[in-house]
Amino acid sequence: MVKLLKKLVFKLYVICLMLFTVWYGHFMYPLIFGFEGKEEAGESLKEIIRTGSEEETMFSRLIAEQTETSQTDLGYRVIDESYIEGRFHHIGFTLQHDNTNVCIRCHGSVPHDGSKETRSFLNQHAFYLACETCHSRPRAGAETWTFNWYDKVTGKITGNPRALVEIEEMFTHEHETEQYPTYGNYGVKIAPTQNDSGIRKLLHGEKEMALAERYIAEQELLEPDQKTAMKEVLHRKVSKDHPQCRECHNQEDRYLPFEKLGYPPTRLRELVNVPVVNMIQKYQKFHFPTLLESDEIEK
Amino acid sequence: MREYRLFNSILVITAFVLVGAVFSVAEADTEVNCLICHKHRGLSRIDEQGKFRLYYINNEMFESGPHRRNKCHDCHSDKDRFPHDPTVKVDCTQQCHIVEPSGQAKFSHKPIADTLSKSVHGKFDADGNPKKYQEDYPGCKDCHDQPLYRPVSVYKGETKDGVSKRSIGRCRSCHRTGYFAEDFYDHVTSRLRRGRFPMETINVCAKCHQNQEFLKRHELDDAVTTYKETFHGKLIALGSERTADCLDCHVVEGENTHLIESKLVPTSATNKANIGNTCRNSDCHVNASAELSSFQVHVTYERDKYPMQFYMLIFFKALMAIILYFFLALIFFELLRRLFPKFSFIKEKKTSDDTDFEPLSDDADK
Repeated sequence: MVKLLKKLVFKLYVICLMLFTVWYGHFMYPLIFGFEGKEEAGESLKEIIRTGSEEETMFSRLIAEQTETSQTDLGYRVIDESYIEGRFHHIGFTLQHDNTNVCIRCHGSVPHDGSKETRSFLNQHAFYLACETCHSRPRAGAETWTFNWYDKVTGKITGNPRALVEIEEMFTHEHETEQYPTYGNYGVKIAPTQNDSGIRKLLHGEKEMALAERYIAEQELLEPDQKTAMKEVLHRKVSKDHPQCRECHNQEDRYLPFEKLGYPPTRLRELVNVPVVNMIQKYQKFHFPTLLESDEIEK
Repeated sequence: MREYRLFNSILVITAFVLVGAVFSVAEADTEVNCLICHKHRGLSRIDEQGKFRLYYINNEMFESGPHRRNKCHDCHSDKDRFPHDPTVKVDCTQQCHIVEPSGQAKFSHKPIADTLSKSVHGKFDADGNPKKYQEDYPGCKDCHDQPLYRPVSVYKGETKDGVSKRSIGRCRSCHRTGYFAEDFYDHVTSRLRRGRFPMETINVCAKCHQNQEFLKRHELDDAVTTYKETFHGKLIALGSERTADCLDCHVVEGENTHLIESKLVPTSATNKANIGNTCRNSDCHVNASAELSSFQVHVTYERDKYPMQFYMLIFFKALMAIILYFFLALIFFELLRRLFPKFSFIKEKKTSDDTDFEPLSDDADK
């Protein structure tokens, strides 16, 4: 019996060595003959980009582009950040995309492109507010919503972000630390939630995402009128009556309960006194003062 | 008109002072407090070309580089209203409000632009005629993002990354006003070494010099890929900061880094007559012989251009493959024999004298 077992172990050992020999040959192949295959793949993609119309070229380029990061080594500190082509200023952080929100699945994470005055500000809000926070409203008589933070990666409801409090502490010790408070990149977003059989769930949760995924997967097989009907169903929670700036950015009776969401006093003061809101609402065009500008600056 | 602007300005400033009272001192540095809007991380849109535009300004990053003494309007002089008019490209050669201390003139990057125009990267040839493929020649932003200080500290003969509080303290005993001491320290010590980590420099050059279409248009070799195959390239890939990168070999020691010249120009660092001195510069191979610089750094193995190198490569690849796969095959079959010690394609008739083949197994060793 021991002899048989020894023989078996020996055979297994030999088989492992044979497999290793084959793997080693495979592993060494690109090291000897280079990585031509990858270069060819890159070339064929460039060929597609070269040959289309302007729109096709632009579309292919956008598909080919991948989210890149860059690293700047200052010796005493390494800065990891998202690489944005053509940008001069360092952003100093990595953009964290929300892959769990159902609206973003089709509309993307930078969806506002209407009014020139407001589009960038609205996209800024999309950085830390789920779409349904503004684009859905509770129906009359229905249960009032609670607003909670959810994780951009897992889609799960989380507690208030600790970063908000840390920024407040930074304000308190501002002169000691010489750090600048920067808001908005907490890895979480605010979304309306509802009570579902004693469990708090996102208004647009897993069920809605499953419907959207199913629509995306099957849309090629659908008749045009079916598509319209399904879009109608998918958008049934969307309200045209979205909140105006003042509904949140005011001293009292705010649509979003900033205190409950964990905003500390300094940030709260900023949120309720937003000069940009005044500017957008009062002026069609706002000229910056040139009183203090030197006339001597030459081109 | 002038009076109307003055009145308007006073009104607007008053409004800003009233509503912006809560903002920190750091944010009030900009003349119209651009950070009221641009401090928001998600301030962005997709432009007409489908490009993601992020308008966020990280003040901490901005304050970490030599541009921190500039106001936004020094560079973005077209921004005089909200919503902003379509952006005019920043002209780095325009003068800003900073006075350059050695010449007491207003600061401008124009001398750098002039140097660049004389280099191989300039848009015009020696006779002043525009070169082919004008759009391929770099402007400031093609190579530079916002520069950041890389200060070093020296204490008792030891050099470390970062700011030395001791040194700053010594400076501040006389230079007490504002952040003069910090600015001066950061600026000077950052200049004691390269402004970028070598791999970052290589990545900048790679934007064009590894772009196959660009290389075809200009009939150039792939300088970056070939560099990465050298000892220098491999050391830098492993994180070395003391190894030669593109600028160390392509800029004459002591010259402005923007003055990179073609190897055909007699004054170029890579010209045949000068390449030895480039290797022997005071920071590299000081005592090297002329033979050190005689090897071809950027070898691309193109059959038409470099037939000798091409066939040499084929020979060595084949030699390596034959040796490696011959011995791998030998090992494989040897192992196979150990797995099936009695296997044979030839079947022999058994006679009464025949004994079984003794297998080469561990049992046999006993």
